[in-house]
Amino acid sequence: MAIQAAPEDVQVATKPLLQVQGLTMSYGFGDSENKILNDLNLDVNDGEFVSIVGPSGVGKTTLLRCLSGLIQPRSGTVSVGGEVINGPHRDLAVVFQDYSRSLMPWMTTLENVAFPLQGRGVGKKERNETAEKNLAAVGLAGQGHKYPWEMSGGMQQRVAIARALAYNAKVLLMDEPFASVDAQTRFDLEDLVIDLQATLGVTIILVTHDIDEALYLADKVIVLAEKPATVVDVIETGFGDHRDQVETKADPRFADARARILHRLRDH
Amino acid sequence: MTDTALRSAPKPGTGTRARRPEAERVRSRPAQVALNVLQRAWLIVVVFAIWWIASADSTNVFIPSLESILTSLGRDLFNGVIAEGAAYSLGNLAAGLLIAVAVGIIGGLILGETKRLREIVDPVIHFFRSVPQAALVPLIIGAFGIGQGPKIYTIAFACMWPVLLNTIDGVLGVEPTIRKFSRVYRIPRGLHFRKVVLPAALPQIVAGVRVALPIGITVMVVSELFAANKGLGFYILNSSATFMVPETWAGALLVGVIGYILSLLFVVLERRILSWYFKSGAK
Ligand SMILES: Nc1ncnc2c1ncn2[C@@H]1O[C@H](COP(=O)(O)OP(=O)(O)OP(=O)(O)O)[C@@H](O)[C@H]1O
Ligand SMILES: [Mg+2]
Repeated sequence: MAIQAAPEDVQVATKPLLQVQGLTMSYGFGDSENKILNDLNLDVNDGEFVSIVGPSGVGKTTLLRCLSGLIQPRSGTVSVGGEVINGPHRDLAVVFQDYSRSLMPWMTTLENVAFPLQGRGVGKKERNETAEKNLAAVGLAGQGHKYPWEMSGGMQQRVAIARALAYNAKVLLMDEPFASVDAQTRFDLEDLVIDLQATLGVTIILVTHDIDEALYLADKVIVLAEKPATVVDVIETGFGDHRDQVETKADPRFADARARILHRLRDH
Repeated sequence: MTDTALRSAPKPGTGTRARRPEAERVRSRPAQVALNVLQRAWLIVVVFAIWWIASADSTNVFIPSLESILTSLGRDLFNGVIAEGAAYSLGNLAAGLLIAVAVGIIGGLILGETKRLREIVDPVIHFFRSVPQAALVPLIIGAFGIGQGPKIYTIAFACMWPVLLNTIDGVLGVEPTIRKFSRVYRIPRGLHFRKVVLPAALPQIVAGVRVALPIGITVMVVSELFAANKGLGFYILNSSATFMVPETWAGALLVGVIGYILSLLFVVLERRILSWYFKSGAK
């Protein structure tokens, strides 16, 4: 956070936007209890971009499901804006990994993006305008009449992002959102998300098992390891707002941070 | 599916072969419909021609010539005897199907969404669907009387099961990620049913209705074989009781034709309400 250090200091007193305290989660009960998350604590500030990395099966998706209110933790709390959540929350939106399955094929792209607003009772005209605007923000201006299945994977994931943005939640939760697209599309989507975050000031928590992606995107990288999972490291990347696929990844701090994460994961 | 099987074997000379890439050809619906009808009609024409020739000199009283069957059919269609009966029967069929579809879909949505209820009701559903529906006709009519109502209820009762069961299956098959989406984005219950679960289950529901259609036609006819004074079933029963064999055949033939036309109309309807499903290649 080197570049942002000065303004950040002023906000020290303010509470984090999203707070996880003593979060413990298991699947199953009694003898077959499988403890996945053990006493996790996390603070995410307003406007921050946080990546969560960890090896496959460590419990990243489980953590994200707790954060989104889809499952209830065994103990501990998740709070947003100081309010403890006990289910899906107005201020939390999710971009699912499987874009092709999270968009509804019977609705046009515009309808897909506008639908959550309809659930909130927003009138048709207004929600279509909002949807159109957010489609434009992800680079899909004027494509709202198409159906998701008429679009490429990368475009579909853009639609899913537009849908989350249109919902206008304070926090965006993303579970490996770019895992199933090709490398070039992946870079494009990463840069899109960085841009959107910078312009809209939305807080993003992104789960990935790709260390480079975690570092490139985030202000703060949280490393999960062990079984049950705990936070084994928190790294402030300090790349500031400007990121470039070539420059940033060539930054010596990038290499250092990556080596540090790899060490952490190997040690545990 | 049968319609694709029929389509992939078009009669040479109908000019359909040249227009193979049918997925791209989504516009001009009337032309498409006309084409479909043509493609399906040729085999029937052949069958009827063979029937006509083979039965021309028939001396068997129970197998009259097609010519005499068609003559009776034409006569009774135009003098109103059969048309009135057909209108009555089709009215019953439409009403029965409508009730079956409404009850089947609503019941199926509710049962599909509530696991506990489904587990309680499941054995009952499987018991009733296993009972041969036509056998229930005399019972229902015996219990509820001979009017139009009991006939409609019988049709509704018989047609409801495939719709109900398919709706439940469709609801259970809704993509889990879409369910998660609906929960995370806090879609209200009513909207969730109407815009998420119902469309997701619709392909299955439509398949259920397709199964229900011929069941409905059978039960429609059977319901008029008991305690009736009009309808197609009555026409068939009455003519056979009075040894008017060509008329009996004519009635049966007409039922077949109606069934066929209804199934064609159903395909058109299906393509219309499930266009996303066919075009997306989800099928
Ligand atoms: N619904 C469930 N019931 C029981 N066990 C589960 C369930 N979901 C996940 N698990 C188990 O919990 C552990 C953590 O799973 P999770 O999906 O959270 O890992 P992950 O870090 O997201 O992995 P990946 O990187 O492969 O997506 C795994 O061992 C998995 O088998
Ligand atoms: Mg996962």
